[in-house]
Formats: sequence, C-alpha cells, structure tokens
Amino acid sequence: MKTQENTASMKRHMGLKAASRISNTIIHIILVVISVIWLIPFICIVIQSFRVQPTGMTRYLFANPDAEMNEGLAIKFGFDNYVNLWKSDFPKWYLNTFIIALVVAVVQTVIVLCMSYTLSRFRFKLRKPMMQFMLILGMFPGMLAMIILYQVLKDIGLTGTNAIPGLILVYCASSGMGYYVSKGFFDTIPKSLDEAARVDGATRAQVLFKIILPLAKPIVIYTVLTAFMGPWGDFVFAKYVSGITPSAYNVAVGLQSWLATTTMTSNYYTMFCAGGVVVAIPVVILFMCLQRYYVEGVTGGAVKG
Amino acid sequence: MASVKLTNVKKVYDNNVVAVHDFNLDIKDKEFVVFVGPSGCGKSTTLRMVAGLEEISGGTVEIDGEVVNDLQPKDRNIAMVFQNYALYPHMTVYDNIAFSLRLKKVPEDVIYAKVTNAAEILGITQYLMRKPRALSGGQRQRVAIGRAMVRDSKVFLMDEPLSNLDAKLRNQMRAEIILLRQKLDTTFIYVTHDQTEAMTLGDRIVIMKDGYIMQVGTPMEVFEKPSNLFVAEFIGAPKMNILKTNLVKEGNRYFVTPCGAKLEVTGEKGKLLADKGVQSGEILLGARPEHILLADGPAENHIPCKLEVKEMMGSELHLHVITEDGTRWIVRVPTIDLNQEQREHLEKNDAELYITFEGKAMHFFDPETEKNLIYGE
Repeated sequence: MKTQENTASMKRHMGLKAASRISNTIIHIILVVISVIWLIPFICIVIQSFRVQPTGMTRYLFANPDAEMNEGLAIKFGFDNYVNLWKSDFPKWYLNTFIIALVVAVVQTVIVLCMSYTLSRFRFKLRKPMMQFMLILGMFPGMLAMIILYQVLKDIGLTGTNAIPGLILVYCASSGMGYYVSKGFFDTIPKSLDEAARVDGATRAQVLFKIILPLAKPIVIYTVLTAFMGPWGDFVFAKYVSGITPSAYNVAVGLQSWLATTTMTSNYYTMFCAGGVVVAIPVVILFMCLQRYYVEGVTGGAVKG
Repeated sequence: MASVKLTNVKKVYDNNVVAVHDFNLDIKDKEFVVFVGPSGCGKSTTLRMVAGLEEISGGTVEIDGEVVNDLQPKDRNIAMVFQNYALYPHMTVYDNIAFSLRLKKVPEDVIYAKVTNAAEILGITQYLMRKPRALSGGQRQRVAIGRAMVRDSKVFLMDEPLSNLDAKLRNQMRAEIILLRQKLDTTFIYVTHDQTEAMTLGDRIVIMKDGYIMQVGTPMEVFEKPSNLFVAEFIGAPKMNILKTNLVKEGNRYFVTPCGAKLEVTGEKGKLLADKGVQSGEILLGARPEHILLADGPAENHIPCKLEVKEMMGSELHLHVITEDGTRWIVRVPTIDLNQEQREHLEKNDAELYITFEGKAMHFFDPETEKNLIYGE
C-alpha cells in the first residue's frame, strides 16, 4: 500500500518536473527569438562599419549582387572607417557629448538623490501637493517645452556656439523630477537608522552620505547611469540648441548630419555606422563595470526583520 | 551625567491628535527613570522629544539646566538605544560603535581603546569585525548598547530595548542593564510596556495612559500605593482583582462586603481610611492575587467558589476561580504551601474552594473617579 502511494507521488512528481521542463524550454525559445530580433540591427551596424567603400544605405550586408557584373563593387572589409572618423569632426562631437553627459551625470545625480532623500525623510507643508504636481508635470512630453526653451536659451545666449552649457542647463534643470525610483528605495531604508545616526552626532548631510547612500548603492548606480545615458543619446534638444554650428554638435546630431543631405544620397553611411559603434563602447563598458552593484539585500541586519 | 527637567511638555500632531498632555517631571542626576504604559500612551513620544527626534509642541525640556527645545539631537549630548537596534548594516560592529566618535574626530587610538573596552563589558569582542547581519538578536542589541556607551553622554535613552528579544534573553539582558547602569553611573530614561522591566530597573516609574501621567513613584510606591485604578491594574502580574462592593463604616472600623462576606479592613489601611474621613458607600475593591488566600473550608467570611482554570507556573499556582454570583478572581498560591491533600483537590475539575482576603492589603477606589480613596490626590 505504502509503496503504491510512493510510486503515485513519484509519478506526480515526475509529471511536474517534465511539465516545468517543457514550459522552461518554450520560454527559452521565445526569449532566444526575441533577443535575435533585437540583436539584428546591432549586428548589421557593426558589419557595415567595417566595410571599406564609402556608400549610401544599401539593401545587402555581406555580398553586393551587382558585383557579378562589376568586380570593383565587391565588398571589402577593413578599418578605414574608424581611421577616417578621427580625421573628421567626429572627435570634437564625441568630446562635446562626453563633457555634457559627464557634467549632467554628476549634477543630476546629486540633485536627484538630495531631492529623493528630502521627500523620503522630511515632512513639510506642501510636500504631497508638490509630489503630485511633479507627477502631473511629468506626464507632459518634454518636447512640448521645446520652442519656449529655445527662445529662453537664445535670449541668454546659450545656443549655437554656446550650445554645450545650454544643453547642460536644459538636461539638469528638470532633473529633480526623476526622484520616484530613488525615493521609493530610500523609503525602504528604516528611518531609525537616520535617527540613530542623528543621535550619534551626524548632520542630515552626513546621514545621507555616510548611512543612506552606502546602503542605496544600486539606486545610486541606476541614477548615474540614467543621468549619463539621457544626454549621451539625445538628439532632439541637441539638434535645435546647436542649430547650424557643427562645432557644437553632439554625436547624435553630428552623425545624423552625415546622412541628412539635401539629395538623401550620402556617401558616409558606413562611417556613420562606425561612429555608432564607437558611441556604444563607453556605454557598454559602463554597464559592464557597474552591473555587479545591482545587488539586493544590502540592508540585511540593520533592524529586526 | 545630568538632570533632565520636563515642564508642561506637550505633543500635538498635525492632525490635532494630542499624544502627550502637560508632562511634568524632574529627573535627578544619575537617576534611572522608566516610562511605562500600554502602547499609544505617549511614552515613546516623550522620550523622542527628549532625544530631539520629535518636535516639542509646547513646554520645555531642559538637560542640565539648559533648555534644549530647539537643539538638534546631535547637540543634546544624549545616547539612545532603539527597539529595532538600528545598526548601520554596511559597517562592521567596530565601525558601528566607533561611528559617533569618528564624527567627533576623536583620535583613532582613543577610539580603539573605547570600542574595545565597551565590547569587553558587553562580551562582544569576538564579533567586532562582523557585520550586523551575522549577529543574533541579543548580540545586535549589545552592539546598539555599545554604540550608546562609548559616547559618554549626559543622558542615556532607551526605547523598549528588550522588546524584540525572546523571553529568556530578555531576562538576561535586563540583569545586564542593571549591571551596565552601575558601571556607567549616568542618567537613564527607559521606555517599556513591560511592567516587570519597569519594576526591576527603575528608581522611579512614570506610569502613563493616553498621554497623561497616571503616577510617578518608586516601584514599591506604585505597587503598594497605586493612586488610581489604572496603575493598580497595570502594575503587578497577574493583575489586581477588582470588584464592585460596599464599604461599611461601623464606628472607627471599616468592613467590605464582597460576595456576601463581611471582612474587616485591618492594619494601617483602616486607620488611613478613618483619617481621610471616608464614609460608607459603594467602592471598587482591589485585591492582588497574592493577597487572596485559600481557606480550609466553609466558615464565616469564607467565600465559596469554583475552580475554572489552573495555571501551573512552577513555583506558584494561578487559580482562576468563579464565585456563586459570577465574579471571577485570580488567586496566586505558592506551590510550596500546598500539602498533598490540597494538591489532589486542585486536580479535580470544578473543585470547590473557599477564599478570603488579607484585610491589610486591600485597595479602595472611587467607582466614579477611579482614584484611590487613600492615596489618590
């Protein structure tokens, strides 16, 4: 009797195992398909960037169908595009973007973290209305403010050749609105830690920097990354603030200018792809370095759970 | 080391809820004062106002003669131990204890000496390099106490420090706090909801209810002379039995008439009632479980009752009995006083028992004001 029961339960167990294996397989297949679809454009760009001939956009990747008739059209691969990049305006744009992104990353991170800490820990009049107001404000697309922002920047002389400080100002100005995620995280850190530190002799700022931020490392990293990524890949604001001054372009605007010719037949397409690859490199490095900080459970043992 | 003086201290929250009403208390230098009361009575709020973690809505708090109402916690020179330990999880035990000293820019060698000394007193030396998450509850609470110890602060505040520990550990830590107090020799304010902790630790106990102070006194005072019904019931375990009955004055003698019996108020209590000029009338009679006696058998003034529930505590027996008119009493009997016959009798369900009172240990309360007829102001 007992053995029968055991075999029955074993069978049921096996059934469960098999079912979970099947569903896992299906899920993995779906995920693999999605990632392949997602990766194709990147792979195309990387391959194009190594093509030697300067061309416009093409419909083929590895072999030119016209090459059968004309040997000269056969695809050759090499590093010419990357070499040429450094001879063009590209380094200047790259530097522009890097300066903007770096300054914005620092300023925005400080503002966002201070804002989040304030909203998480202090109780003051209009705190709730302010948060609600910012929530509603955040629902409007930023582009709505484009025209007036341009007017204001132009009036104070921060467009065209001065586009870089102008852009930094634009990116930093509204950074306090991005407090949601970090405030949510700060809320999970027990308030009694603040209180203990304050009794121990810490000022509010010391509480933030010595207690809260070390505990909120993942969220600090997240804030830095998003603050860096925004300006790094921005096109619209950078385009209209820099206007027609190529020396003030950022990479996105600069690269786009290679393709946007009046005739729409640019010969810079492969160099454009090479530029795209170079732009992606620091972001990839940044993510690789910082992803190990995305760990949970840093608050273990603080207070009785 | 300092005195703490609270004058008309008040706490009103934004939603107009009054947490503490006119709190007046003078805490002497090196005194150990315990705030005790049920949850929501304002004891923690009062402590946090002393600490500076809660804004003071009215009145003044003085530490060592200086009004500290507007001072930040860091400027009040206080140390505090929290109920949930509040250890900094990213720091080792050593760094946790050293944190306040580093903020004060104390030289590292002095810090080392102080931290190791505190760790030795608390018996946590071998854990100094661990992170809090690798410690047990008791060890964490020791670290929290160590963190407060090294500060050499004027006042030591403790907010239910033992509430998160299990019962056995709590007893042990309670004893350690008594030892710690002897070593530190400073002013303590201790908040708890546990009357045992209050009785065992405090030089003076402040019993609070709904934001009001019910009574301030030494453990013996609040136990023997509770100024009102709330204090009488709150202090002492199991709690005091209360019964509505009549007080009868005959000449200079007083009698109470619980459950048809007529018992004389003996000892000092009778005299005190006469001094206060208390007249016959309805009262609330209070009798602690240890002051109700098991009687041998039916006799005049022995109240017959039935045994409902029996709780064996080892050294003593708690008997829940019910009288014929439905009144329930708790009687506390030392096990050692019971002979074999009595023990066997108590084994029976619904055993018939007879109880009587110690006349000198009765308490009398006004049924309306709930004040003690003898000791209430």
